[in-house]
Amino acid sequence: MSDPVLTIRNVESFYGPIMAIRGVSLDVHRGQIVSILGANGAGKTTLMKTVSGVMDPEKGKITFDGTEIQGSEPHKVVEMGIVHVPEGREVFPLMSVDENLNLGAYTLADKSRIDHNRELVFTYFPILKERRTQEAGTLSGGQQQMLAIGRGLMANPKIMLLDEPSLGLSPLLVQEIFGILKRLNDEQNVTMMLVEQNAKAALELAQHGYVMEVGRIVMDGAADVLMQSEDIQNFYLGVREDGARETRRWKRKKTWR
Amino acid sequence: MNISTLPPQTNINGVWFNATAGQRPVHVDECTTVTQLFQKRCAALGDRTAHREKDLGIWRSYSWTDYWQHAKWIGLALRKLGLKRGEVVSILSEDRKEWAWFDMGIQAVGGIVSGVYTTDSANQLNYLINDSDSRFLIVENEEQLDKYLEVETEVPGLLKIIILEDEGLHDLTHPRCMMIDDLYKLGQQAETEDPTRFEAELALASPQDTALLIYTSGTTGKPKGAMLSHENILAAIESGARALPAFETDEQLCFLPLCHILERAVSIYFPLAAKCVVNFAESPETVFANLQEVSPTTFVAVPRVWEKIYSHVQIMTQDATPTGRAAYRMALKAGIARAEYICAGQPVPASVSARFWLWDRLVLRNLRRMLGMDKLRRGGSGAAPISPELLRWYWAIGVPLVEGFGMTETSGLATLNSVEANKIGTVGQAIASNDIRISDEGEIQLKGLNIFQGYWRNNAKTAESFTADGWLRTGDLGHIDDEGFVTITGRLKDIIITAGGKNITPAEIESRLKFSPYISDAVIIGDARKYLTALIMIDQENVEKFAQDQKIPFSSFASLCAAPEVKDKIEVEVAAVNKEFARVEQIKDFRLIDVLLTADDDELTATMKLKRSFVEQKHAYLIEDMYK
Repeated sequence: MSDPVLTIRNVESFYGPIMAIRGVSLDVHRGQIVSILGANGAGKTTLMKTVSGVMDPEKGKITFDGTEIQGSEPHKVVEMGIVHVPEGREVFPLMSVDENLNLGAYTLADKSRIDHNRELVFTYFPILKERRTQEAGTLSGGQQQMLAIGRGLMANPKIMLLDEPSLGLSPLLVQEIFGILKRLNDEQNVTMMLVEQNAKAALELAQHGYVMEVGRIVMDGAADVLMQSEDIQNFYLGVREDGARETRRWKRKKTWR
Repeated sequence: MNISTLPPQTNINGVWFNATAGQRPVHVDECTTVTQLFQKRCAALGDRTAHREKDLGIWRSYSWTDYWQHAKWIGLALRKLGLKRGEVVSILSEDRKEWAWFDMGIQAVGGIVSGVYTTDSANQLNYLINDSDSRFLIVENEEQLDKYLEVETEVPGLLKIIILEDEGLHDLTHPRCMMIDDLYKLGQQAETEDPTRFEAELALASPQDTALLIYTSGTTGKPKGAMLSHENILAAIESGARALPAFETDEQLCFLPLCHILERAVSIYFPLAAKCVVNFAESPETVFANLQEVSPTTFVAVPRVWEKIYSHVQIMTQDATPTGRAAYRMALKAGIARAEYICAGQPVPASVSARFWLWDRLVLRNLRRMLGMDKLRRGGSGAAPISPELLRWYWAIGVPLVEGFGMTETSGLATLNSVEANKIGTVGQAIASNDIRISDEGEIQLKGLNIFQGYWRNNAKTAESFTADGWLRTGDLGHIDDEGFVTITGRLKDIIITAGGKNITPAEIESRLKFSPYISDAVIIGDARKYLTALIMIDQENVEKFAQDQKIPFSSFASLCAAPEVKDKIEVEVAAVNKEFARVEQIKDFRLIDVLLTADDDELTATMKLKRSFVEQKHAYLIEDMYK
């Protein structure tokens, strides 16, 4: 496999005195989709924010394309080609779809490049083209998510950090959006690091997966291997173990093997 | 009872004992059975607190009257449901007040109590119930109930299953299951029908009656149920009171499994004599928080827990400010200086005392308060060997920690160090109840009233565990010094005979390895091999911290074990240990066990020790790899 384009080494991040990431190391290879699974509070979003420069790590090293980027300002990080699509979409509600997309291309100066990117976004998300003059706040949740991803694509990213793109979306929409992400990866070779609670969708999409718990990675492996893990099946994929009773509520302890 | 018919008595911290220990019948405050003592205490102490338990985040007290009343209902109800004297009841639950209530209630009506570890599997439960021929099974909650339901058809001897927590089980209708509240109701009914029956049953017990079955895991073969009588337990109480003073005002924390004789004796039987208060920890995971909340006066734990507390402090100091670190270093130095005198049994010079006093005020006292040990009069360690360096560290920070030795077969105690007579590195002197000798083979052998009655329905094994002249074979090797302090060097069965014909006791090497903060446990391999090797379980927390500080990338536990720097670090630790041993006893190679073992795994005992046989079996490929 090629050298990783993004490497994270022993990163620790804090919210005040609270250590949210307790030493995380992971690799993302070019053209790969890597999923990070984990429950609420596991530190997934913090990890994303640390990569994109919104937060500074206390310790550790993040390299992108061979350059150390930990602690860099977010705009510098974006200029290097790392685009963070935040949790909860965060589109600018009072701006039109077009304006939102243009903001995504803020770092680009080349007009023709911007136009090309916009066309690219519209081929993947034709609905945005239909609504291009509409205020983003009036779009449906799924459309807003598409806009958020599209806005990210406008910056010509080398890697996209997608924070819970399935949040609050219907299963059908999740399928649609993940289908588009897959196509983007296949056709445009966009590298992605994806944080998800929807483990099934995430593992089907990704080639590699990491599981985080209270700030640490407890398990990692190829996505299809993770899918077969008993712990993942029980705790993330909702597969029920055969129990003695039907109404069993307790869960066995996780071992992460 | 007429006091004049008793043998000469002596009063130890407010409780009367035979003036000469180890004599029949054993008396504790004139009582000759555990249940008599229980009755006497409940009547005298009434509304005073016996137990505390945390309920939805608040510590709640339960009195001796609660203890008596519930035990009574339990005993009467079980009797009504068909329990006969001499029959067994199994308890499958974490520590909680009901454990004690059931223990006493069952014993009072002549039943025998057998504890099952909550980490045991359904199959193990099946074996234990059938082997003990249990009539009743007490289960804590739905998780434990499911183990029974899984093997339901294979345990036909059970009359009823009693469930302590109904959460998630409101819809359960099962002819053999009943909830604890229904059992109490049944007991209340029985009490109204026959108000003096419980007391009458209780009076029927004789000191020789079997009170408990304690299953010993045994590294080989199926578990065997050791039978302990009322007399055995009273003998342990008698000896315990002499070496480990306890007072009415004492507070204890109960968190090791009550199925294990150590916690059982310390948290259920000793408090019957000493009248102290037992606080039940919420769960094994919350021990450290509960320790702070309770701040016990005496605290007994296994070495692993003492090690954890120590590493916790180490980690904290590493992250402290330079001033803080320096202060800790100075304080520890003052503590060590003082501890050296104390541990050697010499008077502490005034200058050393004064220096310690100062640093104690400035640092150590706060440290102890943070750990929940500010009121601790005595810490105890047992069930596995603890490293001398660790003991010294605790003495240095002002925590008197003493080591003892005992087995299920000796009712939990056999030799003890006390705060006054303490020799670090030994397991102390023989307790008052039992005599000790060393056989020609070097095996420690014991005889006394605390020695068990035999294995439940297993005469062959019972015979094997005693010598022809009636001494208990402990299976441990050791020697006794001129002051009677016993040192244990290893297990007779574990002796490794290398291909070169050299006899090696692995325990010594293993416990040296374990003192490394990075090594949690180790198993030495080498029987019939050319040289010694080791399988090592790393200490997750400390090694993770090490990796983090050294910027060694890792993701999961397996990748942590695979990191070359971690291997190098352990190699350094192993090399340091090797220096202390002769060439043939040196470890030539090692492998790290790269799965994070939990108490549910076969490789670990309930007290988190590695089980040699299972480890060798499960990790055979690693072992073979070292001899290629």
